[in-house]
Amino acid sequence: MAGMDLETFAGRASILEDRTTGESALRMLKSGKMPPAGMPRPKEAELASAIKKLEDAFGTSAAVTKAVSGHVPPHRLNRAEYNNTIRDLLGVDIHAADDFPQDDSIYGFDNIADALSISPLLTETYVAAAEKIANIAVFGPELQPEPVRFDVAVPRRMETTNIVRITKPAYYSMANYDVTGLSQPGSYHLNYQLPATAEYVFRIVGAGNRPAASEPTQCTFWIDGKLVKTFDIADVSLSGFERRPDTWEARLKLPAGTHEFVVAFPRQFEGLPPRYGGPNPSKLPEPPPLDPERFRAPSTDNRPGKIEERRIAYERAKEQFAHPTWEGLSVTEFDIVGPYDHVKGASKESLQKIFTCGDQQPACLRKTISDLATRAFRRPLAAGEIDSLVKIAESAQRRGGSFERGVAVGIQAILVSPDFLFRIENTRAANTEPRRLTDYELASRLSYFLWSSMPDEALMSRAANGSLKNAEVLRAEVKRMLADPKSRALFDNFASEWLEVRRLESLNPDRDSFPDFNDYLRSSMQKETELFFENLVRNDGSVLDLIDGKYSFLNERLAAHYGIPGVKGQEFRRVDLSGTNRSGVLGQGSVLTVSSYATRTSPVLRGKWILDNILNAPPPPPPPNVPSLDAASAGSSATLRQVLEQHRANPVCASCHTRMDPLGFGLENYDAVGSWRDKDGKFPVDSSGVLPDGRTFQGPEGLKSVLRADKDAFANSLTTKLLQYGLGRGVESFDQPAIRQIVSRLPAADYRFSSLVLEIVNSSPFQMQRGTGTP
Amino acid sequence: MNFVTGRHIARRSFLKGAGTAIALPFLDAMVPAFAVAAATKSPVRMAFMYAPNGIIMKDWTPTTEGSNFAIPRILQPLEPFREQMLVLTGLAHRTGDGAAGDHTRASATYLTGVGPKRTTSADVEVGISVDQVAAQAIGSKTRLPSLELGCEVSRSVGSCDAGYSCAYVNSMSWRGPSTPNPPETNPRQVFERLFGSLAGIPDPAVRARIEEDRKSVLDSVTSRTRQLMAEVGSDDRHKIDEYLSSIRDIEQRIAFAGGERQVNPEIQKPAGVPPGFVEHARLMNDLLLAAFRADITRVSTLIYAKESSTRSYPELGFSDPHHPLTHHRNDADLVEKVTRINCHHLEQFADFVRKAKAIPDGDGTLLDHCMLVYGSSISDGNNHIHENLPVVVMGRGDGTLKPGRHLSYPETPMTNLYLALLGKMGVPTEKLGDSTGQATHLTDV
Repeated sequence: MAGMDLETFAGRASILEDRTTGESALRMLKSGKMPPAGMPRPKEAELASAIKKLEDAFGTSAAVTKAVSGHVPPHRLNRAEYNNTIRDLLGVDIHAADDFPQDDSIYGFDNIADALSISPLLTETYVAAAEKIANIAVFGPELQPEPVRFDVAVPRRMETTNIVRITKPAYYSMANYDVTGLSQPGSYHLNYQLPATAEYVFRIVGAGNRPAASEPTQCTFWIDGKLVKTFDIADVSLSGFERRPDTWEARLKLPAGTHEFVVAFPRQFEGLPPRYGGPNPSKLPEPPPLDPERFRAPSTDNRPGKIEERRIAYERAKEQFAHPTWEGLSVTEFDIVGPYDHVKGASKESLQKIFTCGDQQPACLRKTISDLATRAFRRPLAAGEIDSLVKIAESAQRRGGSFERGVAVGIQAILVSPDFLFRIENTRAANTEPRRLTDYELASRLSYFLWSSMPDEALMSRAANGSLKNAEVLRAEVKRMLADPKSRALFDNFASEWLEVRRLESLNPDRDSFPDFNDYLRSSMQKETELFFENLVRNDGSVLDLIDGKYSFLNERLAAHYGIPGVKGQEFRRVDLSGTNRSGVLGQGSVLTVSSYATRTSPVLRGKWILDNILNAPPPPPPPNVPSLDAASAGSSATLRQVLEQHRANPVCASCHTRMDPLGFGLENYDAVGSWRDKDGKFPVDSSGVLPDGRTFQGPEGLKSVLRADKDAFANSLTTKLLQYGLGRGVESFDQPAIRQIVSRLPAADYRFSSLVLEIVNSSPFQMQRGTGTP
Repeated sequence: MNFVTGRHIARRSFLKGAGTAIALPFLDAMVPAFAVAAATKSPVRMAFMYAPNGIIMKDWTPTTEGSNFAIPRILQPLEPFREQMLVLTGLAHRTGDGAAGDHTRASATYLTGVGPKRTTSADVEVGISVDQVAAQAIGSKTRLPSLELGCEVSRSVGSCDAGYSCAYVNSMSWRGPSTPNPPETNPRQVFERLFGSLAGIPDPAVRARIEEDRKSVLDSVTSRTRQLMAEVGSDDRHKIDEYLSSIRDIEQRIAFAGGERQVNPEIQKPAGVPPGFVEHARLMNDLLLAAFRADITRVSTLIYAKESSTRSYPELGFSDPHHPLTHHRNDADLVEKVTRINCHHLEQFADFVRKAKAIPDGDGTLLDHCMLVYGSSISDGNNHIHENLPVVVMGRGDGTLKPGRHLSYPETPMTNLYLALLGKMGVPTEKLGDSTGQATHLTDV
C-alpha cells in the first residue's frame, strides 16, 4: 500500500477520525499482506491482538455505524428494474427497456444510484415507452404481422471444411452420439418472446450436404422441448459434395411469452455411405470413386500458377478419398413471421391490475388512477398529487371520448413521473443526521434488492400497517420473497454481474482455436450458472458451495463439453460431480470463459477474477509502460507459466503478479472455454501454485481448499458485494463494522443464503438513510 | 413531398451518445416542413454503400482507362447509368499489419483510414469516419445529421476474429475514435425515426388529439418535477434537475414545431425485417431514398452485408455462406459463385441508382445531386488484399464530379478520395486517417 503513513496515528481517537486509512490498514493486516515479505514480522499472537484492537476501535456494534450512516441518492430504475416494475404494475411484459440506452456500471453493478444518470435520449425513450406501454395495458397490443430474422453463423467446423481437414469434436462418436441432433454443432437454439397468442410462420433455411449415395435424412423442429414438425430432406444429388439450399416452413399457433425454438438434424451419422464407417450405413449403391488423377489431366493453361493450383486440388482430392470427411448439416437462417390473427384486447392480467372498480363514473376514474399511482410510486399519495393526475385523465377522457382513453393517458403520466422513475428516499432533513427508513422506503429497498421490482400487495400492506419494523415479520417477508420465482432477479442482476457471466453473451472465443464453441454451448454455460445460483437461493444452500459445491446442473451438450458421461438429452438436471474434476463456480464453463482471452487462457485474468470476486481484494491496475506478455510464444517455445515467470522477474510487476498468477495457475487444466486439458500445446499443464505467504496447492481442487480454508475472506467478499447491490451504493469504510458483524454471524447459520440476506436486511446500512441537509 | 409542418428543428444533439439504434417515434414534432420546397438549391447528398469479403477483381476492373471503357461483368448492373459512373482503380487501405483479423480491420478501416486497436473490451479505438466528418459539419441543416443502415441482423453474436471487438464489424460509421455508430437494420424502426409514429394514422383529428394528450402529460411531469426539486436534499437536486431539463427540452421542441401538419412519407410503413436479402436491401434503398428526397438527412452509410459475412444467398441457387466461399483458392466453381454474389450485391446498389435517377430533384434528378460510393475494403478476398480496392462512385455531386470514366491511380490512400468528396460537399478537411491529400481528376481529366 504505497503512500500510507501510519505514523500520523497518535492514538485511538485519531484512528477513529481517519477511518478510511484505518480500515485499509486493518485489511492489509488481516490478509497477511503487511508487513511485506522480507520485513521484520511480529509474532502471530501480537498480530492477532493488533487486529482485534483495531476492530474494537472501529466497533463491531451497529450503534457505532449509525452515527455515520451512508446516503443513497434518488435511485433511477435501471433497465431490468424498469421492465420488472412495468410487468408487476400493469401486467405488461414486453421488456420495453431492452431498447433503452445501456445503464452505466460502477463497483461491478449497474444498479448503483450514483451512476444511474439521465440523458436527453433516455428521457425521450421514457416518454415514448410510457405511451406504448399504457396503450398495450389498456387496449392490448396493436400488432401487425412482422418478420423477425435470425442469421445464424455457420459452425466454423463446417465453414472451413473446404480448406482444412477437420477432426471430429471430442463428443462426436459415431458409436455413441446424440441421435436427436439437438447437441450437434449444426443445430439451432433460440429463446424468443412471442408478443401475442397467435399463429406464426416459422421459416428455416438449412445448408450443408450429404455425401453422394447417402440415404435421405430429416430436419426436425422442436418447441419447448417437444418435437412439433419433421421435414424430409429430399434425395441428395449424385454430384457429391454440393451444398444444397433448403427451406422449410411451418405455421403454428402458440401462446404469448418466451419459448424455446430448436432446429436439429437427427441421426446425422446414419445412412452415410459405408466407407464413412458410421452406424446403419446406406444401402444405396456407391458411385464409382472419382479418380484423383483427373486433376492432373493435361491442360492448355500451363502457367506456373495454374500448375500449382492443379497440384493443390489433386492433393486435396487424394486426401479426401483416403479419409472421407463430412461437414454435416446446419441452419443458416431462422425467421419468425407473425403474429397472424392474434387475440385482440388487453390481457386479463392487465385488466385486473388496472381497473379496480366496476363502473365508468368520475369516482371510479379517481379510484383507478389513485390505486395505480400508489402502487407505481410505492407510497401513499397526497390528495393534491391525485388531483393533478386525475385532471389529466379527465381531460383525455373528454378529448378521446372514452373512459379507457382517460385511464391510458393517466397511466402515461404516471409512468413519466419522477416519483415512478426514481426511488426517492426523502433526504430533506434539516441536518445530516441519519434516520431509520420509513416502512414504505424499507419495503421498496427490500423488493428492489430481492426482486429488482416494486413491492407486491402483501409487502405494501405490511408497510401500511407498520408491521415491517417487527423483526419476525421482516424475517418472514424475506423468506417469502426468496421463495418467490421473482427472486430469480438475484441471478439476473446480482450474480450474473458479480460472477461476470453476463459478459458471456458478448464474448467470442476464437473460432479457429475453439471450433465447437457456438451459441448453444454459450447459452448452456449461462444456464448452468443460473441454475446453480437459483438452487442456492431457492433451497437455501450454503454460500460456500459457490467455492466447491460438488454438484451442478448440466445438459448433454455441456456434459459432453466437460467430459462427464451419462447425461443424455437437452434438459438440464442436477448432476453429482463427485469423482469429477469440477466443483463450484470455478469449475463452470461460464466463469472459465469470461476469465480467458479469445485464443488462450490467462492465469493473470483468472487470478484477478478470483481476487476481484471471491476475495474482494482487487489488484491495482498495471503501471504504464509495462511490456505486455509475449503470448504468441506460449505453447510453442515456452509454457505460459515460463513466460509469466519472466514477467514476474520485473519487481514492479511482481508485487501484484505474485498474488494473481498462482491463483490462476490452479485453473490451468481448464482451457479458454472451460474444457479439461492435460496439455497446453505440447507442454503438460502444471496447475500447482505457491501463494505469497508460502502455502502451496495442486490443481483446481487444491486451489479451492485454499480458498475454502479462509471462509471469512470469502464471506466478507460476498457480503460486501451483496450489500453494495442491495443498497445501490458503494460500501464505505464506516460500513465495515456492519460487514464484519454480518460475517461473524454466518457460521452459526451454516452460511445459508437466507441468513446472509437476513443479516444484510437487518444491518444498519440497509435500515438507515442519511439526509444531505438543505442549504 | 408534401410536408406541411410549421418549421423544422435542427437537432444538433440528436442521438448523441449511445443507443442510436433506438427508434424515437415520439419526435413527430421534428418532421420538417416544406423541406424540399423551401430549399432554394438542391443540396448534395453523400452515401457510402458496402459489400464485404472482396470482389473477383478480374471481372470488376475495366481493361481501359478514360471514357468508353467496356463494362466488366460484375459492373454490368450499372451499365444503364454509365454516364453517371466513375470507376476508380488504385485506391488502397495500407492500415493492415498482415496479422490475423483482416476482415475486422478492413471493416473498421474502410471509412476511417485508421487501423483499429486490438481489443475485445469496451476500450475500442479507431478513428472518426468520413460520413461523420460530413455529418458533424452539415448535419445541423437537416433533422438527422446522418442515417446508418444495414441489411444484416446480428442478434446472435457471431464471429469477431483474432481478438478484435465485434464493434469494428458491426459499425462502419464512427462518430469519434471510440464511439461506434451502428446501423439500424429494422426497416420499420427506420421509418418511425424518419417520419414519426403518427405517420401511419390517417385521421388528422386523431393525430391532434394524441398530441394534446402528450402535451398534457409533459405539462404534468414538468410541474411535478419542479416541485420535487424543492423536496429533495441539496446534494440530490442535480439528478432531478437532469430530468427536468431534458423534459423541458422536449416540450420546447414541440412548442417550436407547433400547429397541425400532414406527413406524407410517400412509402408504406414497413412491417419489419423481411426474410429475404433482396426484399430487405430494396426496403433499405427505399427508406434512404425517402430520407434523401425529403431532405431529412444528407449523409448516410448503407451496409448491404457486413465484413466477413457468412450470409448465404439461396435465391442464387446455392447456399454456400459468403465468407468461406471467398477463400476459393482459385477453384473455378467457387470463384464463379463468388462472382455471382458480387453481382447480386451490385444489383441492389443498381436498384438504388435506378430509383434515384427517377426522382426529380431541383434542376435535375436526385442522382445528379448524389455522391454514392460503393465498394469493399478488400480487393482479393482469397488472400486478404487491401490494395487496388474495388470502388465505384455514382452521381454528379451537383456538377462537382465528372462521371462516365474509369480512372486509374498509382497507389493512393482511399481516404484521399474521401477528402476530395468532402471538399466537393463543402466540408474542407485537412486530414482523415492516413490521407495524404485530395484524390485528383474527379472533376477534370
